[in-house]
Amino acid sequence: MNMLMFSQFLALAGLLAGVYGIYRRYAETKRRALPADKSPLKGNPQHGVTYAFTLGMMPWAKESTRLHMIAYLRGIGFHIGIFTAIGALIVSPFWGFLPAVLNLSLTVVLGIGSLLGAAGGVMRLTEHNLRGLSIPDDHFAVWLVTVWMAVSALAVWNEAFLVAFYILSAITLAYMPLGKIRHCLYFFFSRTFFGKFFGRRAVFPHPETAK
Amino acid sequence: MTETIELALKTLEAQLNQPLETALEACARCGLCAEACHYYRAEPKVEHIPAYRSEQLRNVYRYEHDFLSRVFPAWTGAKKLDEVTLANLSEMAYSQCTLCRRCTVNCPLGVDTPLMMRAIRAMATATGNAPEILVMLADAAIEKGKDPSFYKDMFLEQIREMEEQLRDITGDPNASIPVEKQGTKILYVPLAGAHTILPPAVVFNAAKEDWTLSIFEAANYGVFLADVNRAKAVAKRIVDEANRLGVKEIVIAECGHAYASYRWDVPNWFAGQFDFKVRSLIEVLAEYIRDGKIKVDPTAIPEGVTYHDSCNLARNGGLIEEPRYVLNKITTDFREMTPNKAEAICCGGGGGLVALAEYTERRLAAGKPKADQIKKTGARVVVAACENCRLQIGDLNEHYNLNVRITALTDLVVRAMRLPKPLPGTEAEHLFEGEGALVEK
Amino acid sequence: MTDKPALSLDFKGLLCPMPVVKIAMAMKQVKVGQTVEAVATDPGVMADIPAWARTSGNELVELEKREKDIRFVVKRAK
Repeated sequence: MNMLMFSQFLALAGLLAGVYGIYRRYAETKRRALPADKSPLKGNPQHGVTYAFTLGMMPWAKESTRLHMIAYLRGIGFHIGIFTAIGALIVSPFWGFLPAVLNLSLTVVLGIGSLLGAAGGVMRLTEHNLRGLSIPDDHFAVWLVTVWMAVSALAVWNEAFLVAFYILSAITLAYMPLGKIRHCLYFFFSRTFFGKFFGRRAVFPHPETAK
Repeated sequence: MTETIELALKTLEAQLNQPLETALEACARCGLCAEACHYYRAEPKVEHIPAYRSEQLRNVYRYEHDFLSRVFPAWTGAKKLDEVTLANLSEMAYSQCTLCRRCTVNCPLGVDTPLMMRAIRAMATATGNAPEILVMLADAAIEKGKDPSFYKDMFLEQIREMEEQLRDITGDPNASIPVEKQGTKILYVPLAGAHTILPPAVVFNAAKEDWTLSIFEAANYGVFLADVNRAKAVAKRIVDEANRLGVKEIVIAECGHAYASYRWDVPNWFAGQFDFKVRSLIEVLAEYIRDGKIKVDPTAIPEGVTYHDSCNLARNGGLIEEPRYVLNKITTDFREMTPNKAEAICCGGGGGLVALAEYTERRLAAGKPKADQIKKTGARVVVAACENCRLQIGDLNEHYNLNVRITALTDLVVRAMRLPKPLPGTEAEHLFEGEGALVEK
Repeated sequence: MTDKPALSLDFKGLLCPMPVVKIAMAMKQVKVGQTVEAVATDPGVMADIPAWARTSGNELVELEKREKDIRFVVKRAK
């Protein structure tokens, strides 16, 4: 077995460990009680959930994101980069068969994602509030994912980086359920509960503002 | 581990359902919630960022539940709960968060920070770390429910006096305040005090409503304690009363937390025994005006009027347009604060804070963003449909020299009804005068 | 009549729950056996003060409704 194959096995193992770990977290949380809300509806919880995942995520939907539009868009770009990296990993055996323009697009998206990640990492170290809020896990997670994306971009562009890419993929994915990166799972829980709560009460989407 | 810590952790475990675990897990510590919090706006420091506050509970949760945190606590800030940490958590949850949920609506992930603050409040209540006065107020309410006979005669005597006043100011010799009348459509639940009985009585009589007055008050301090048993015991008085009287709906006085709990929580606490419609008095006012059941003078209030959205009524209760509908029918110069509605800034008086004298300084400081908002409108009258908000804005009025009048929505409606005589109190320039000064003898 | 109260308080104009909050605070300033007298205008105190006294272990010595206000005296019992 050569180094490339070994690293590919590692990446596969990391992916499986990550997916299994996230599934375990999902199953553990789902095992907990979910109190049924029997209060009479004013709005529509389902509309609330739809809003929470669509219009409610728009940069203009919240005061916080209007105030920190650039930081929010940085975060969005960073996360687009992360999901692209996961997609790129899954299709990595077929990179050679992809049209050049797609490979170039992948490199660009991943490159931008890693730059945005680095910006986030630097902000976490230098900005007073973010530094005060951050725990070692936060710093590690953002730099791990940033370097992974950067190496992904390089690997799409140049095969010489493939081994590094697979090894970093293994580490990132295996770490996913262990540290803060697992918020990727809880994002879905959280926005769903948010949507149900505010949707039931006709706060979001608000009938007046939704017109 | 001491018994206290064991009990605190047991209380946390008992509450750990899907929404709470999600709130404990979802935060990415992006810090975008900072300005959402009125404490942070008033004094921008890391400790006032909602994410920082929730992190204090997360540290305890992680120590108990997270594999990595157990192996390497420093990596995640995990911390074993001890007495000092519990005391600090309790103080934070009761004095630095009004449970307004403004951080939740501003969080990209929708993290429910107040849910975590409630979890801490419950831990504090279970272990005797909750503010004593909130416990006293909740227990006093429960006591009233156990044996109303010790005050019922006095209460009825006062109601008869109010009835005389009602007839005098309305000029209607048949106007009445029925108490615990069987089989009416509406059971109106006031707060303790004539100011939440007389003005609604004027409205109900004018609308020829089939109503009766509860002998209990809507306020529920068990809710602030996050103590479901106490909160249920307080609410049970009214649920039992409504069942006994066979009413169709319960109408809650202008009170934020009471409305939010009776409208959204009580139906869950008493599932199967609770078939009542719950409305706020604000919704009833809007209905009466819309249906022409009461006549109001649209030019009655010429002064600049602004409306403060109580967090429990608007963001957490869904009562957003109803008060505005009413105000637009009785005022000629209505001015919105910015931001408002679901994005409204908390006045700083919620979560039981107005009853906690030990935190007055913090409460007034945290109310500065609201005071600034009020000032910016240039309005002379601030309408708040929540008693705690009115008390807080009254204090802010004095503290920040706002020079405004603070009033309930119903009082303004009654003024717009152009009664033969003014309602006592509402024509006065001051509605919240008279501090209880301590005089040593 | 009771002994001269150790503290006299004016709660006129205060609305619920402030009379209870203030009387509870005042009880901490007097010794066991001493009394606190207060005058309030909010009719809610007629129910709230007796209920608070029962649950807090203090003794409500007097509660009288007068023409324009309500006067009550509470003795610190513990």
